[in-house]
Amino acid sequence: MPSDVDETHAAPRGFLRRYVFSTDHKVIAKQFLFLGLAFLAVGGFLAMLIRWQLANPGVPFPLVGKLLYGPSGGVISPAAYTALFTMHGTIMIFFAITPILIGAFGNFCIPLLIGARDMVFPRLNLLSFWSMFVATAVLTTSFFVPLGAAQAGWTAYPTLSTAIGTPGLGQTLWTIAVYFNGASSIMGAVNYITTVIRLRAPGMGYFQMPLTVWGLWLTSILNALFVPVLAAGMVLLFFDRVFGTQFFIAGSAIRGGGDPILYQHLFWLFGHPEVYILILPAWGIVSDLLSFFARKPAFGYRVTVGSMIAVVILSSLVYGHHMFVTGMSPMLGESFMLLTMIISVPAVILFFNWLATIWRGAMRTTPAMLFALGLVFTFGLGGLTGLFLADIEADVYLHDTFFVVGHFHLIMAAAVLLASFAAIDYWFPKMFGRMMNPVLGKLHFWLTIVSLNLVFCGQLLIGYAGMQRRLYDPSAYEFLKPLLKMNRGISHAAFVLGAAQLLFVVNFFWSLARGRKAEANPWQVGTLEWTVPSPPPHHNFDRIPVVRQGPHELGNPRVIEALGRDWLAQDEEMP
Amino acid sequence: MTATTTTPAPARVDAGERSAAARDLDATIGMTVLLGAWVMLFAALFLAYGVVRVQANEWPPFGAPRLPLAVPGLNTLLLLASSAVLRRGLARARGGDQRALPPAAVAAALLGVAFLGAQLAIWRAMLARGLFPGSGVYGSVFYALTGFHALHVLGGVVALAGQAVRARVTRKHEPATLRPLRMTALYWDFVAIVWVVMYLTVYCL
Repeated sequence: MPSDVDETHAAPRGFLRRYVFSTDHKVIAKQFLFLGLAFLAVGGFLAMLIRWQLANPGVPFPLVGKLLYGPSGGVISPAAYTALFTMHGTIMIFFAITPILIGAFGNFCIPLLIGARDMVFPRLNLLSFWSMFVATAVLTTSFFVPLGAAQAGWTAYPTLSTAIGTPGLGQTLWTIAVYFNGASSIMGAVNYITTVIRLRAPGMGYFQMPLTVWGLWLTSILNALFVPVLAAGMVLLFFDRVFGTQFFIAGSAIRGGGDPILYQHLFWLFGHPEVYILILPAWGIVSDLLSFFARKPAFGYRVTVGSMIAVVILSSLVYGHHMFVTGMSPMLGESFMLLTMIISVPAVILFFNWLATIWRGAMRTTPAMLFALGLVFTFGLGGLTGLFLADIEADVYLHDTFFVVGHFHLIMAAAVLLASFAAIDYWFPKMFGRMMNPVLGKLHFWLTIVSLNLVFCGQLLIGYAGMQRRLYDPSAYEFLKPLLKMNRGISHAAFVLGAAQLLFVVNFFWSLARGRKAEANPWQVGTLEWTVPSPPPHHNFDRIPVVRQGPHELGNPRVIEALGRDWLAQDEEMP
Repeated sequence: MTATTTTPAPARVDAGERSAAARDLDATIGMTVLLGAWVMLFAALFLAYGVVRVQANEWPPFGAPRLPLAVPGLNTLLLLASSAVLRRGLARARGGDQRALPPAAVAAALLGVAFLGAQLAIWRAMLARGLFPGSGVYGSVFYALTGFHALHVLGGVVALAGQAVRARVTRKHEPATLRPLRMTALYWDFVAIVWVVMYLTVYCL
C-alpha cells in the first residue's frame, strides 16, 4: 500500500509560513473560505443594487448611493447597471462559489476524509490559492479604472466584449482575472485528482469513499478538462483586445474574418460542464449529510456514484443548448436537445436516492440538515425548469428572458449556495474547534429558503411574461409596465434575503470567537475526519487509519446492540 | 493489509517517508493530469483555428504573403533535437552517469533559445512583408498561435536553466532531485509535440 507511511513535516513556525504562505491544506482551506465569503458579500451587495434599479428605475440608491454614483446623484446609470450584473455573475460564480465549495471544502475535506496527512502536492496547493488571490486583486482593481469594470455580461460575448464594444481597461482586466482564476482551478484539480488516486488510507477503496469526496473528485476531473477551454477563449479574447487580432470580429467576404459565435462555442464547451463543476460537490455533500442526519446508510450508494459519473460524461456533450438561437443547424440542435433531456435521467435517480435515504429516517434537523433538505427542494425546482430551456421550441421564446435567470439561480444561487451553508454548518466544528449556534442557524435557514424561493420563482414568472434579462429599465416598455409591481415584490424579497445573510455573518463570527467548544465527533458520524480532535493536529492523523467499512455505517442493529450507539467509525472493527 | 489490534492508536505520531518510487509515481500522475489540461488548452486553440479556417474562402487570403516553410521546418528539428538531448541525459543519469545531467539540460535550453531566435526572425520577416496581427484572421491565427506557443518554449527554457543551475549547485543527483527534471522533460516533450502539430497545420496546411 503506497499510503501505509506518510510524511509528517513538522508544523511550521512564524506567522507568515503558518497563516499566509502555508502549505497545510487546512489553512489553505480557511484562506479560500474567507476569500470566498468576502466575495459572496460583495456579489450579494451588487445583487441588491440590481434589484433596487429594477424595483425603482431611476431613483437614487439610498444611503450609499451618492458615495457609489456621485456624478449621477446616486442614480444607477445604464453603463453602471451593465457593469453591476456582469460583475455580480462573475464574482458569484468564479470568486464566491468556486473558492468556497471547491477551494475551501475540497482542500479541507479530501485529505481528512480519505485518511491522508495533506494533499499530495502541498506547494502546488499554495500556488493555487495565491493564483486565485492574484485573480481577485486584478478583478477588484477593475472596479476603479476609467470607464469602470467589465460590462459585457458574465459570459462576455463578442462583439460586445471586444475593444469595439467595451473599450475600457475593465474588460481586459476581467479576462486576466478569469484566466488566473482558471489557473487556480486547474492546479487545484491536479492536486485533488492525484491525492484521491494516491493517498487513500489502506482499506479505502473508491467505493468506501464518502460521497463528498466523489463529488469533489469528479468536479476536479471536469475542471482539469474544461477550464483550459475557457482559458483558450480568454487568451484569444485578450489578444483581440490588446494586440488587435480578429478571432471574434466578423470580417468582410473578401478578407475573411473571425467569428463571434466561435467564442460562444469555446465559452459553453466550458460553461456547461461548469454548471456541474459547481453542483457536483454540492450533490456529494448533500448525499452524505442526508444519510448522516437521517441516521441511515445512503440509499443506493453505488447508483448515486454511477449517476454522478453519467452526469460528468453527459455534461460535456450538451453545451449546444445554450446556443439554440445562434442559427445552429436544426439537426445539431435536436441532438443537443435530446442529450440534454437525457441528463435528467441520472439527475432524477440521484433525487430519488436522496428521498429514499431520508425515507423513515430518524431525522435530526440540525441547520446543516435543513440546508441539505433545502438543496433537495430547490434543485428539484431548478431542474424541472431546466427541461423547458432544453426544449428548442420553448427556448426560442424563453431565451434571454428572466426565466433563464430564475432557472440558473435556482440551481447555482439556491442549490449550490444552500449546500455551501450546509457544508459550513457541518464542518465548522472540525475547522475551528467550536460549534455554530443552531438557533441562529435555523433562523438563517428559514428566512433564506423562503425569500430565496420568492425571488427566483418570481423571476421565472416575469421571464415567462416576457421580461428580458439584462434590461436596464423595465418601465421603458409598455408591455412590461404591469410587471413593475411584481418586480418590486421580487426586490423586497431579495432585500430580505440579503438582510438574512447578516444572521449568518453574526453567527459565523460570534461562533468563531465564543462558540461552544466542539468535541471530536459532535454529529456522531463515522467518517475519518471525526476520529481526530477538533480542530485536527497539523499532521491530521497520528497514525494513518486502516479503513474497514464504508462511510454510512449508521443504524446497524449489530452495532447498536454491541456498542450502544448507532454509528460506527470507518476504521473501527465491526463488532 | 497489515494486522492491527482493536485498541485505539497510541498517542504518538508515525514518522516515516513515503518511498521515492511512490513519490515518483505521484509526480508522474500529477504531471499527466496537468498536461492533459494543457492539451485541452491547445486543442481549443486549434479548434478556433479550424473554425475560422473552414469559413474562409481562400487561405491565405488574396494578397497576403505565404508563410515560410524552411526555417520553421528547421525549427521543428531544433525542438525535437532538444527533447532528444534531454531524454538522453536523463537516460544516462538513470544508468548511473549523474554528471551527464546538467550539460544535457543546458544543451536542451540552448536549443530552445535557438528556436526562439529563429521564430523571432520569422515574425520580423512577416511583419516586414506587411502581415500584422490585425490584418485579418490569417495574421491573427499566425501570430496568436505561434506567439502563445513561444511563451511555452520560453517557460521551458527558464525551467531547464533553473534545473541545470540547481543540479550544479547541489551536486546531488538522488532520485528526488532528478524528479523535477523528469517532470520538466515531460513538459518539454509536450511543447515539442504541440509545435509539430502547429508546424503541420499553421505553416504547411
